[in-house]
Order: sequence, then structure tokens, then C-alpha cells
Amino acid sequence: MSEAIKLLIVDDEIKYLESIAKRLEIRGLEVTKATNGQEAVALARSRKFDLALLDLKMPGMNGRQVLEILKKEHKFIEVIILTGHGSLESAVECTKLGAFGYLPKPYELEQLLDILKDAYQARLRNKFEADREKTDRILQLATGSSALGILRELRRLDDEEK
Amino acid sequence: MPEKESSVPPPGADTPSERYYRELLGKNFLRLALTYLAPLILLTVYFTLQYRAVSREGRRLHLRSVAEHQANMMDLFLSERVVNLANLIDDPKLPLPPTSGLMEALLNRLQKNSPSFVDVGFFDSTGIQRAYAGPLPYLENRNYSHEAWFISLRSGEENFIITDVYLGLRQQPHFTLAVRRIIGGQYFVLRATLDPKSITDYLHSLGESRNTAFSIVNRSGTLQLATPEIGTPMQASPLVPPVSPRIGDQRVRRGHQKVDYAYAWMRTAGWGVVVRDIEGENGVPLLGNLFGVMAFSLAPILVVLSIIVFRSKKLVQMQIERETAKAQFEHAAKLASVGELSAGIAHEINNPLAIISEEVGLIRDLMNPEFKMHTTFDDLIPHLDNIREAVYRCRDITRKLLSFVRKDAIHLKPHDVNQLLDDVVDGLLIREMAVSNIQIVKNYSCELPSIVTDANQLTQVLLNILNNAADAIEPPGAITIATSCASGWLSVAIADTGKGITQEMMGRIFLPFYTTKEVGKGTGLGLSVSYGIVKSLGGDILVESIPGKGSVFTVRLPVS
Repeated sequence: MSEAIKLLIVDDEIKYLESIAKRLEIRGLEVTKATNGQEAVALARSRKFDLALLDLKMPGMNGRQVLEILKKEHKFIEVIILTGHGSLESAVECTKLGAFGYLPKPYELEQLLDILKDAYQARLRNKFEADREKTDRILQLATGSSALGILRELRRLDDEEK
Repeated sequence: MPEKESSVPPPGADTPSERYYRELLGKNFLRLALTYLAPLILLTVYFTLQYRAVSREGRRLHLRSVAEHQANMMDLFLSERVVNLANLIDDPKLPLPPTSGLMEALLNRLQKNSPSFVDVGFFDSTGIQRAYAGPLPYLENRNYSHEAWFISLRSGEENFIITDVYLGLRQQPHFTLAVRRIIGGQYFVLRATLDPKSITDYLHSLGESRNTAFSIVNRSGTLQLATPEIGTPMQASPLVPPVSPRIGDQRVRRGHQKVDYAYAWMRTAGWGVVVRDIEGENGVPLLGNLFGVMAFSLAPILVVLSIIVFRSKKLVQMQIERETAKAQFEHAAKLASVGELSAGIAHEINNPLAIISEEVGLIRDLMNPEFKMHTTFDDLIPHLDNIREAVYRCRDITRKLLSFVRKDAIHLKPHDVNQLLDDVVDGLLIREMAVSNIQIVKNYSCELPSIVTDANQLTQVLLNILNNAADAIEPPGAITIATSCASGWLSVAIADTGKGITQEMMGRIFLPFYTTKEVGKGTGLGLSVSYGIVKSLGGDILVESIPGKGSVFTVRLPVS
């Protein structure tokens, strides 16, 4: 089996964090836990995550702020908002800020897995879409200026892949 | 075994609400009665007095005019009688002295003129009655030269005399009319006596004197003529009018009563006519009219009274309804302030529920043979404990909410305000504040006296102000709660680092339904109800604010 899906979970409710992490680990996901926003941002800077589960209301940096930083710094990460605060406005607000979806606590594990699946799909689609654009640009670059110029452009494209 | 508390009041005793109802009714009745009835009664009294004064004045003028009229009539009457007498003696065909037979004829002529003539006599200068006709023939040849009237007539300026009523030789009340003449150098007097009773009848027959009693007195206060109610001639008059002015009226006290009378002095004789009301001493008809006036003004008073009774009952009903409505309103506001909390409360409850849900799921996973976890009972214990703990967290939250929302009767008990604050802050708010990045700083005074108050109501006020403070803050921020006590007042100051209150908002923050929150988020009832509650607890809410910096709400409560 190849590499597992890398998931970041951020919640100030430690017991909740432990149990949900454990359950997802049992199911083969690679879970990293953070109990507050600062910790989450620091972790995301040192490692790459495919998906993130984010509690909205936390002491210190709240879920919204973490969401904005994650989306800015990581092009293909998909973030799902978790909260006990079940109102439609905050859901809409978060999806506007780039969250993939929204899951009110408490929920069934199946619901979580469903949304994780959808989010991963979206991530892959975005990624492949970006790859295809790059392939197109490689083809365009191949018929143009001097060999050295093309070489430099290609190198820049490669750098964008992060 | 403890004694069972009796919930049924003893028979005859009022329930507090009945007593309250009656007190309210009494108060309302008094107020309305004072407002509406008092002016009406004053008006009635005023008009009654006014009516009495006017009617007495009218009566007085009436009596006066009657007196004057009677005096004139008497003057006219007596003048006519003098003329009757003078006509006889001035007749040139009268032989001097006349014979007795002629005297009879003269008397007849006089009596044709007026039946009040009793007899007629002819006197020479010596005062001997030379001729006489009348019921007392033995008077003929009597000597009258020492009689007062004869002397007065002889020495007086006038050619005639009208005497007072006297008994004289005949020992019967009568008065004398005499005319003197000097004929052929000789002094003669023709004299007639008149019966006072017939004059009384005559005056009565004039009709003017209905409802009045009249009498005629001489200047020394002796009755000359009188209606029977007053007395008989020759008696002293009960009323003696003053000599001047000629016509007047007076009010005199006779025994317990006051008597109004009018008088007029005659010109022909030294007599005065005295007139007063017949019925009662002070006019029974007056009193009768007075009752009429009273009855007439009593009717509207009774109407107003019944309206007042009706209105005050209605007012009490309205007042009670309003108080009930106010209580319901306060309760609604309490619910509303909980509603404003509910977003935070949802977070508070949903978190432990999520823990339970996850732990249950995890236990299933651990026991699931599919995952081959080889779980022992000991492995499960921490998870079960977590579930238990989460359940109790939920229970604590719901319990606190319920205890706050419950519509309790007001219970005044000594309370430690610091403790109440801790219940609100630690019980309901602190986690909500923490996740919202609002720091709570407690700055309690440790020497706070306990105050007698209603915990539920005070909690509502504190919760409300704390909610508002949290709402005003753009996180991160802080709420500082300070308690203190000085000169009989206990203060709870709640300071926030929020957006503050502008000058124009300041005037409206305590108004019902004034809110700065989004539609559907705030009811605008919190502060207005809080203000009402603190006022009813004898305290006050003070507000200071710097826009952009924050606000301080201070709840002041009396210590005693």
C-alpha cells in the first residue's frame, strides 16, 4: 500500500481529538493532531497535509484565521470545518473563505468519511487540472524561443509544484 | 417528624392577593373620589350657600317692599278717615252744636265710608262732649279736657290728631281721630274712634300680606295693630324697629332663631309697620327650596360616585393585568437573554455530545473483530469515563440554564454577590468567553457584605450585562468584573474593551426594544428589564463609555 492520506485535525477539545484521531487511524489515515490554531499553522509549515479538519471556536487563533492561513500557504489543501456552533451563517462564511465543507458536531463517522472522500476528490481534481494546464504550457514553450530560454521557463514551472 | 406546613389559610383570613386587591381598590377609589367628587361637593356647597344668600336677599327686599306698601296703605287709609271727618265739620249746613239725631246721621255717613268707625263725638272748647253717637251713649257730656289727645290737639300745629291705641274710659282698645276747627270764633273738635281690628282685617284683605305677619307699633314699641300670630294691641312688641331710617330691615336674634323683618314708619301717625315671614322664624319655604337644591346636586354626585366605584374596580383590574403582563414581560426578556446565549450554549452542549459520539464510535471500533484490536476491558475504561464526564458536563449546563429560566417567585435572601457572579461566569459563560478569545478578569473585593436580594433576578441582570459586554468586544478583548462596597452601597462594575456607546445611543440604551444587534439576534429587552429589576431592588445602573475604547456598567445595590 502506498502512502496514506495525510490529515490534520485541530480542536481544543483534547478528548474529542484523541478519539476521532484514533478512529481515523484505525481506518488507515495518517492523522496529525493540534490543540490550537498556532500549533496547527506551525505543523502545516513543516509538513504537507492533504486535508484538514478544523474546529471553528478555539481560544487564541480561531478556526477562521487558521483556515485563511492554510488556504494561502497550501495550494491544494482542502479544509473541512467542524463546530458545535451550528448556524448557517458561519458555514456560508467559511465556504466563502475557501473551506470545502462544513460538519456540525456531533455527527456520524460515515458523514465525516463521506465529506473527506469528497474533499479528497476535489483536491485531486484541482491538482490534475493544474497539471494539465502545466502540460499545455510545456507544449507551448517547446515551440518558441531559444533552447536556454525554454530551459529557464521549464525550471520555473517545476518550482511552482509544491 | 417535621410539622407539615399548612398551605390553606385559616378561615376568614385574607390571601395576600385579596388584601392587595382591596388596598388597591381603596387607593384608587380615594384618588378618583378626590379628583371628581371633591370639586362637585364644593360646588354644591358653594351653590347652596349662594342660593341661600340670594333667596334671603330676595326675601328681605320683598319684606321691605311689603312694609313700605303697608305703611303707604295705612297712611292713605288714615288720611281718608281724617278727610271723612273733616268733611263733616266743614259742612256749612252743620248746626253747632249738632243734635244727637244729627250725630247718628253723621256716624252713618262715616260708617258708609269705612266700617272701622265706631262712634263720633262733638266737643266744645271746654272739652265737654256735647253730642255723641255710638255704642256708648253714657259718654255724652263727659269732660275730656284732661285727656292727652285733647290737650295735644289743642296745642299742636296740625289741625287733626291720630292717637295711639289706648283703652280710655271704655276700657277697650281703640284709637282716636280728631279734627279741630274755629268756626265763628269758637273752638270745636269733631272726634271719631276707630276699631283697630277692622283695620287689621282691611290690611289683610289687601292680599299683599300673604305669608307674612305684620304689626304696627308706636315709637315706644307698643303694639297698635297686629295679626294674631304676633299679639294683641297694647302689648309690648317683640320687634322694635329703629326710628331712623324710615324704611329698613333687620335681622334679630330671638332665642335660638334669627328673625328677618322689615319696617316702614308711617307719615300720618307715629306708627311703624313691621313685616316678617309667617312660616317659621327663618322661612320654612327657604329650607324646602334648599332641600330641592341639595337633592338636585346630590343626583349627579350619586351618579359620579357610582361611576367612580365602577372605574376604580376597572382600574384595579387593569393594574393587576398590567402587573401580570409586566411579570410575563420580564420572564420573556429572561428567555430572550437565554436565546441570545443559545449559540454559545449550543457550542457548550454539542462539544460534549461530539465527545460521546466519538467515544462510542471508538469503542465499537475497538471491539470490532474486523480491526483485530485485541481490546481488553481495561482498555475501554478511559473511554467510558470520558463518556460519563461528557454526560455530566451536559447535565450541568442544562441544570444551570433551567435554574435561571425557571419562573420562580421572588425570594429575598442574603446572598454573597461574589458567589452569584462566579455562578454566572464559571457556570455559563467562561468557556464561551474563552473560545471567543475574551479574557475574564475578576477583581472581587473580599470584604463584601452579603445583601438581601433575589438571586434569580440579580443573576438575570448580571448575565445580561456580561452578554452585552461580550457582544461589544471584537476579539481579542477582556471583561473586568470588579466588586466593591462603600457608604452603604454595593457595586458591581463590569468593564469591557468593546466598541463603546456613542453619545446618541447612550440616551436610548435602557429603552425597551432598542438594540444595536442584528435583526433576530437581540430583542432590545435586556437592559430595559435589567434596569427595571435593579430599580425594584432599590438600586441603580450607571453607565460610562468611551466610544472605541469600551464601556463600564455599574450595578449599585443598597446594602441594608
